[in-house]
Amino acid sequence: MRPSPQLPIETERLILRPFSRGDVDAVFVYRQREDVARFLFDAPMSRETCAEAVQARIRQVSLAEEDDRITLALERRQGGEMIGEVTIIWRSVTDRQGEIGYILNPDFHGHGYATEAMRAMVTLGFTDLDLHRIYARCDMRNTPSYRLMERLGMEREASFREHRMVKGEWSNEYIYAIRAADWPLP
Amino acid sequence: MTSPNVPVETDRLFLRPFDRADLDGLVAYYALPELQRYLDWKARDNGDVKSALAGLAKEVALNRPGDALSLAVERKSDNQVVGHVSLRWHDATAAQAELKFGFNPIYKRQGYAAEALKAALTLGFDEFDFHRIFARCDAKSQASARLLKNLGLRLEAHYREHALFQGEWDEELHFAVLDREWQRDARISEFHIHRVA
Repeated sequence: MRPSPQLPIETERLILRPFSRGDVDAVFVYRQREDVARFLFDAPMSRETCAEAVQARIRQVSLAEEDDRITLALERRQGGEMIGEVTIIWRSVTDRQGEIGYILNPDFHGHGYATEAMRAMVTLGFTDLDLHRIYARCDMRNTPSYRLMERLGMEREASFREHRMVKGEWSNEYIYAIRAADWPLP
Repeated sequence: MTSPNVPVETDRLFLRPFDRADLDGLVAYYALPELQRYLDWKARDNGDVKSALAGLAKEVALNRPGDALSLAVERKSDNQVVGHVSLRWHDATAAQAELKFGFNPIYKRQGYAAEALKAALTLGFDEFDFHRIFARCDAKSQASARLLKNLGLRLEAHYREHALFQGEWDEELHFAVLDREWQRDARISEFHIHRVA
């Protein structure tokens, strides 16, 4: 296991790289949007909050203990724009469990960028991080998000109804998961 | 939240707090490996069960999230402890609780578990105002899964290999029911299972 993976990761059309201070404006473009925040735990962000978020993400490049995360900025190889972010969280060290998530600037939806980036993150989880199972969760109304998980070959394992309150509303949540044995390594 | 009105009485059972005299009743089943997976107090031998009993006997009120209420399930006809039920308060803002239980296998197939769990769920919704109560069990435990399903809980999750237990990957089921879905007046006798051995 290599808890400090080799970065950046290159895919066909993207570079997954550590955050840098210069990312604040690009992050603010999508994190201030109501439609982006709708199914996230966070509310829409001010530029100041984005600056703090970027500052925290700059250090999220390796795992040392449970609940640590690796968060990477997504940069288009052609054009160089920063279009979103992906993360993988070490949920259990002894049980080798991880959780993945993503946020993509809606201006770049519909091109398969999130799928391409998430595929790279799952591969990272099952190779460098030596995980046994990786899961992801989303609000039941977030159809594009669970369709993405299905495209990755993840299976729906849970449909929780009203199991917590998020931003003053009952949350209904899907959990999707895949085991290392079911992941086709490149 | 606070202490409930106990004992809770059903057709054939009392649900009441544990006391020291319950050691024999608890020793008879509490440390069985197939029951241990989802019990809060870990026990491998009679000494451990004694400690577990001391812990269970203190779980008499729900004052803050994380607290559990544990009740011995006593058969009225002969005062035998046939098992226990617990409600653990999980989340204050969302009023969530987990239902846990264990029953001595020598009393199985008489509907005691269904009768006790039904009373515990009604207690959780009516006295503690929980919004949702969930229960977990091993996917291999068909009796537990059938019990929860027959009580009207919905299967909400089937986790595959999400944790190691005793060196093996587990499969875990989650069942849940919301306050507005809970059928308080359903006749518990419908769930009695009579079988000819």
